[in-house]
Amino acid sequence: MEEGVYRAVSGGRIALQRRQYSASCREFSVRCPRLQLRSLSAATCSVWLAAYGLFVLSQNSMVLSAAIFITLIGLIVYLHFVKIDQESLLVIGSLGIQMTSSYASGKENTTFIEMSQVKDVVINEAIYMQKVIYYLCILLQDPREPHGVSEVVPLFQSSKPRLDCLVEVYRSCQEILEQRKT
Amino acid sequence: MVENSPAPLPERAIYGFVLFLGSQFGFMLYLVWAYVPESWLFSVGLTYWPQKYWAVALPVYLLVTLGIGYILLFGINMMSTAPLNSMHTITDNFAKSQQQKKSQEEAIPALRDIPISEVNQMFFLADKGICNRN
Repeated sequence: MEEGVYRAVSGGRIALQRRQYSASCREFSVRCPRLQLRSLSAATCSVWLAAYGLFVLSQNSMVLSAAIFITLIGLIVYLHFVKIDQESLLVIGSLGIQMTSSYASGKENTTFIEMSQVKDVVINEAIYMQKVIYYLCILLQDPREPHGVSEVVPLFQSSKPRLDCLVEVYRSCQEILEQRKT
Repeated sequence: MVENSPAPLPERAIYGFVLFLGSQFGFMLYLVWAYVPESWLFSVGLTYWPQKYWAVALPVYLLVTLGIGYILLFGINMMSTAPLNSMHTITDNFAKSQQQKKSQEEAIPALRDIPISEVNQMFFLADKGICNRN
């Protein structure tokens, strides 16, 4: 098992863990940057200051209790639905590719793609929010056309590793994908 | 069509001069309407003008539209950017329907759209010495 520290597109640190289970089975896990204490306190302070301002204007103390509830419920919703802790990619040469995202609250989302549907795993570049980023994606085979691509499935969407990390994962995946042709 | 050059021509000079005179006249008319009191205009006999409220309102409308237009254009640009999972980032209709020419010996290969799998192999799987040549 190998581990490396890389950078995400946004600049935060991410960690890539590579495990080889057998000759045709590998797993890559990318751990996203943790929730920062300073952004959490900044958000909480701004919400509470706004609520205090409203309280001073309206003299209604329900505003303060509502702000506390909103902060708590907002934090829980964020941790459960938005904040992804770890994204992993499991490539099994003869079977398929499985993508798992685990959220900060413990929830896990899994997607499996059969190997017959996978045409290739490539590094694509596209425009994303006034930047051009590299991202790894799975090209799905078009059943009607042998050389056509029916769909593009982007990988590592929340951690967004930079090119050096992506090249490592790409080379590893290509070693496995080459085996299925022989 | 040879007539699409931007060179100066006599007709274009006349158009330009007419536009210049028209815009100067329009500006003077606007200033007269905005500044001269209504009683003076009535005494001359010109009674059918729009309300002077519009002399201030229309420029304000125009500037607000301009400001919103900047933001709107930025937003439209962001919305029409293809998302990361769209097929448009990989290929398009012209690349799909391109003809495959047979490569001849000793000739420069024909220009074509290279599929993304081949591009990736050339960039990331080939020996690093080739990529670092530049």
